[in-house]
Amino acid sequence: MISRRSLTRTNAVVAAVVVLLLVLPAFGSDFFVRFIMTQTLILGLMAATIVFLTAYGGMISLAQLLLAGVAGFMFGNAALSEGARGLNLGLSPWVAVVFALAVTTVVAFLLGALASRTTGIYFLMLTLVYGVIGYTVFAQVVTISGPSGITSIVAPEPFTEPVNLYYAALVLSVLAYIAFRAIGRTNFGLAMQGVRDDPIRMSSLGFNVALHRTLAFTLGGLVAGVAGLLNVWWRKQIDPASINIGPTLAILIIAVIGGISYFEGAWLGALVYVLLNTYTKSIPLIDQIGLTPDRFNTVIGLMVLLIMVLSPEGLAGILERLSRGRGLGKPTQHSVEPPTTSTSPVRTGPGGLQ
Amino acid sequence: MAPDATAAGGIDGGDTSSVVQLSSVTMAFGGLLALGGVDLDVAQGQRLAILGPNGAGKTTLFNVVAGDLVPTQGSVVIKGVDCTRLPSRHRPRLGVARTYQKARSFPGLTVADNLYLALVGRRGRHMSLLWPGRVGRDLRDRARAAASAVWLEDRIGMRVSDLSHGQKRQLEIGMALATDPDVLLLDEPASGLSRGERERLTELLEQLPAHTTLLLIEHDMDVAFQVGRRVVVMADGLVVASGSPEEVQANSLVHEIYLGSEAHT
Ligand SMILES: Nc1ncnc2c1ncn2[C@@H]1O[C@H](COP(=O)(O)OP(=O)(O)OP(=O)(O)O)[C@@H](O)[C@H]1O
Ligand SMILES: [Mg+2]
Repeated sequence: MISRRSLTRTNAVVAAVVVLLLVLPAFGSDFFVRFIMTQTLILGLMAATIVFLTAYGGMISLAQLLLAGVAGFMFGNAALSEGARGLNLGLSPWVAVVFALAVTTVVAFLLGALASRTTGIYFLMLTLVYGVIGYTVFAQVVTISGPSGITSIVAPEPFTEPVNLYYAALVLSVLAYIAFRAIGRTNFGLAMQGVRDDPIRMSSLGFNVALHRTLAFTLGGLVAGVAGLLNVWWRKQIDPASINIGPTLAILIIAVIGGISYFEGAWLGALVYVLLNTYTKSIPLIDQIGLTPDRFNTVIGLMVLLIMVLSPEGLAGILERLSRGRGLGKPTQHSVEPPTTSTSPVRTGPGGLQ
Repeated sequence: MAPDATAAGGIDGGDTSSVVQLSSVTMAFGGLLALGGVDLDVAQGQRLAILGPNGAGKTTLFNVVAGDLVPTQGSVVIKGVDCTRLPSRHRPRLGVARTYQKARSFPGLTVADNLYLALVGRRGRHMSLLWPGRVGRDLRDRARAAASAVWLEDRIGMRVSDLSHGQKRQLEIGMALATDPDVLLLDEPASGLSRGERERLTELLEQLPAHTTLLLIEHDMDVAFQVGRRVVVMADGLVVASGSPEEVQANSLVHEIYLGSEAHT
């Protein structure tokens, strides 16, 4: 927890940035607003769900892109009608939104329940497995993914207009940011942090640790699903390759670059990622985030390395330290306690009980 | 169950209404028999001190009562409810609170939040995504009172990771006391405390409400014999002696296996 003063300063900076982003379309280039910033906000929102689960719950999830993908695929299947790929349910767009988010929430709940008894590296590995299986399912079951993806997806009105989509991504990002931070002070959020620090203690205090983890994962999944909808509206298509292992890791890298215990860091990391991704390839407007030529991978790898050496708390950590005038060097406190890498399952019978 | 705390003889164990009832509880860790068939009846309001050398099975006994371990054999009944296989999270509803031998709290949260979580655990809404309303403010007040009770009122905003060892222990006791438990399990609460802190702890334990049943594991004889009205001595996973502090101190077997080497009374 950071001091009240620096919290106020963080709020002031965030508010200023939001105001800037609100007026950005008035003076920013179309390319910058519609391509760079819309993508940044969407990826930032996805990465913020990793921060949410990691910082409060100690659960580093690699399944967030999969859940975003589930929402995207479900929207594509539900909203398109006859002639397109996928199931062609032909629902009205907003019904399709509800359908997509409902399916995503159910999937997140089930995956969360299955993972709720693992922590630390085991949780990470399990969610990685989810990602791999999810990719395989969508790649194999062409009925729901269309042979080589679902194309010509149209966003509901008025988000067909790129500037409106930008504002949707902005508003939803701001809402998620505020909500995620506020949740930290609710019973649910405090209990998540308790579960992160000592699940056995939480259990003896009366909390249902597994259910708590499951619901936290579900909530993170729902928000990832919202980001996934924005993503398909923005890209107008979705294919299994877009949720493959590469892009899955990219979301984690974004969260890590930004600072995995800072919510601001998610969007900061996304901006850096999108800028690098766009300009190291020097070909603007490539339609896939999963496209990873060697050059980009090297640059992003070096970037991660550099940031990790300078500050394990990522860019947000570096900024916070600079703003306090302490320079780089030994780490200071951060906005949310990073996860303790406890790997003890909740109730394993013997073991770890003194 | 759980008749009124004023029931005659509650304090001295003459009461027949047992709050915690263990019947031939066995706990095996692989080949090691940590508990070898323990029978124990603890009456309401009883102040029970559990003594025994290292490795006697005291903590294991607590883990079984608190639901952190499922016994290999035997049964655990708390307030008439069979809790043998009931996970630990159902204990607070029965009014059971415990501390751990190695203090367990939430290092990333403040003292206030730790105490608040203890209270929410027993009577709050665990899953509430709303900002704490009136009920929440009420629990916050109680958390503050709990902090004062264990002399941590000026540390309330501090992160637990920044507390000293002794303060973490105080906090743990505070978290257990905060919920106003009916059954309180304290595992060596005095260990790591200074002399002055031990005296304050003893005082605190003597002031527990009459209805509270206390099970206290304690190596510190001063604390154990002053707080305990009944003393149980364990060795090698068995209860080897049980009685009033005077009886236990006079028991020669007890001297042999335990007190002989450490007692100074
Ligand atoms: N989770 C466990 N797994 C395996 N063995 C265990 C476990 N917990 C306790 N034991 C063993 O059971 C025996 C009893 O341990 P326990 O911790 O109950 O003793 P204790 O009386 O609390 O001792 P101390 O005074 O040192 O705290 C010991 O031999 C210990 O090594
Ligand atoms: Mg012990």
